[in-house]
Amino acid sequence: MKDLGVLTRAFRNVSRRKIRVLLVVIALGFSMAIMISIPSGIISNQKAVEGLSENYESMIEDMQEEINKTATLIECRTSSGRGMPSGMPFGAPPSGFGQEVVFVNETVVDEIRSIEGVKDVVSFIETSSEETTSETMSTPRGDFTISRPLYTITGVCLNSSFIGNYSILPTNITAGRNLVEGDSGVVLMSSNLTDYLGVEVGDKVEIYGEYFTVVGIYESTGQTLMGTRTAYMNISDAQTITSNTGNVSRLDVYAEDVSYVDGIADVIETAYSELYVTTYKDRLENLENMQEMYQTTLENAESTLSQTQTVAFQEIVIAVVATSLIVLFTMLYTVRERTKEIGILKAIGFSNWNVMSQFMLEGILISLIAGVVGIAIGIVGAPVLSSLLLPHVTLFPTQQRGIPGQTVNPGAALSQSVTITLDPQTMLLAFGVAALLGALGSLYPAWRASRTSPMEALRYE
Amino acid sequence: MNDLVLETEKLDKVYKLGGRKVRALSNVNLQVKRGDFISIMGPSGSGKTTLLNMLGCLDKATYGKVILDGVDVTKVPEKALYKIRRHKIGFIFQTFNLMPYLNAIENVELPMEGTKKSRDEKRKRARELLKMVGLSEREEHRPHRLSAGEQQRVAIARALANNPAIVLADELTGNLDSKTGYEIVRLLGKMNIDQGTTIVMVTHDSRMASLAGRMLFLSDGRLAAREKQGTHLLKKELTCPYCGKEVQPDDTFCPRCGKKL
Repeated sequence: MKDLGVLTRAFRNVSRRKIRVLLVVIALGFSMAIMISIPSGIISNQKAVEGLSENYESMIEDMQEEINKTATLIECRTSSGRGMPSGMPFGAPPSGFGQEVVFVNETVVDEIRSIEGVKDVVSFIETSSEETTSETMSTPRGDFTISRPLYTITGVCLNSSFIGNYSILPTNITAGRNLVEGDSGVVLMSSNLTDYLGVEVGDKVEIYGEYFTVVGIYESTGQTLMGTRTAYMNISDAQTITSNTGNVSRLDVYAEDVSYVDGIADVIETAYSELYVTTYKDRLENLENMQEMYQTTLENAESTLSQTQTVAFQEIVIAVVATSLIVLFTMLYTVRERTKEIGILKAIGFSNWNVMSQFMLEGILISLIAGVVGIAIGIVGAPVLSSLLLPHVTLFPTQQRGIPGQTVNPGAALSQSVTITLDPQTMLLAFGVAALLGALGSLYPAWRASRTSPMEALRYE
Repeated sequence: MNDLVLETEKLDKVYKLGGRKVRALSNVNLQVKRGDFISIMGPSGSGKTTLLNMLGCLDKATYGKVILDGVDVTKVPEKALYKIRRHKIGFIFQTFNLMPYLNAIENVELPMEGTKKSRDEKRKRARELLKMVGLSEREEHRPHRLSAGEQQRVAIARALANNPAIVLADELTGNLDSKTGYEIVRLLGKMNIDQGTTIVMVTHDSRMASLAGRMLFLSDGRLAAREKQGTHLLKKELTCPYCGKEVQPDDTFCPRCGKKL
């Protein structure tokens, strides 16, 4: 019953009115594109939130682990830091981030070592590079340009037993080697610093007028913008070049046992008011605060997501209705315009069904063409469309310190991650929806056409 | 077997026009035998087209019967009428009414849509019909590339596609010049003789009407009692009885010998 004739005629009829079909197809195409791109925007949003929550969890776990491992560690700093929870592996706050670096004399090391219960004292010197850099940060409250030291110099006491027992050096080496006891005139640099400077392992760099050889590169954590660029070197080298011989800025005090920690911390705090002391308890407290903050952030993100989903759902409904209406009106117009033709077809023996299927097919055909256009528009314009149509709510509070690299705004996240994967399934689904809406929209016009009285229709001019 | 292909009994049609009843047809009793070539003549508004619509199952009678090939079509439900239109009736219109987006052969194939014929059979039949109307060379041409006469030929081929019991022609020469109109009616007559096609032709053009076998007259919705024998020129080629020269049906004098015909 269904032979190719109907399809051929549908094609010819559709191609007969090129401009109209073109306009309709563009309009439909946009509706389709909206339908295609919004879900993908939502999915990428969801993925972003999922990823975020995973990151948080693993981060918290790592920190928990680190705190447990370093329960005997008492950190003593000459500056307060900036609220950054310490205990994060090498996540120490960049000293000199607009802060003056204070030093204490190395003699303190021996004094602390003599306190009862102290096992080891590892001394560091943390100071800023001479070079500074200006960076513009985009925040919802406007752009800020900040000037900060280009990188941090960390001088480490390269004692092999320290290196072996405590985590005082980065471990994630990506090129070259780590620092070892006896190293001098060499540096270990974070990858974001070597990227910035454009140097590789074996190259020489000038620091405070002295030349150092890069022996190793470690993977820097966090985003480029927020992550600290760091150069590790022997503490004596650092002292020499910054004319700080005999000075240190940080002491990692290791107790014999956890039970000694409180006592040692008390003694140090009483004796050296210039030192800021943190123990595992402080770090745990910090961690709890952080967890709470993360929790709030996640909840915000989730509520934003559900809000976005509601809006998206409404928009899809509107797009579906609009598509059907466009098809409906186009086909109604077409049927009206071709009344005479319907009369002729009926006079020469077309059944109601023949006429109806003819017009249904044309409606579906237009929708399918629009589906192709919609997919095309969707591929090109999905990021724009979804960032235009989905609400711009800040998923994650920006300006929150302590969540390095998470000052992400959802629009940015969307526009980065929305790509429509052209898998056959999506295509098929889009075509299915197109065909369905075409059928839906042309149902009534086609039915009306089939009901036209042939005599009336023949008289119609 | 009944020799009547089409028969109407006391056919009435009343239209309502703005609350006013207009009697378009009144008590029409028409009998068409198989193989007839009938022309129905009448001035505009006499109800010719109404009658034809009634015969073609395009319109419902107010009263009376229309028996087509033994079936009273006034009793056939609207939904099933298409079968009668498709298989029993061939329609030819004044304005040709070809589908502009289909070429000649596709237009001829159109009524065969939905029949049991295969694609090849349809194509074969359409080709045959186009050959019959002398348009073998123009199968692929769309209507806008055909002359008016050629378009009407395609329409005739289309009307014959399903081998209908009767062909109904509504002013088929109305949009043609007289020479082409003559050729078209002549073609119909040829079909009538060669294939035995039954034809009812409605026209207000007396010259065309006179080419049929029987001429009926319709005025004010009534079929006149008088009936005229048409020349039906094709049964015997119209020639001058004096000199044997072929003459036009509307010639009063022989163009060669000048004698009154």
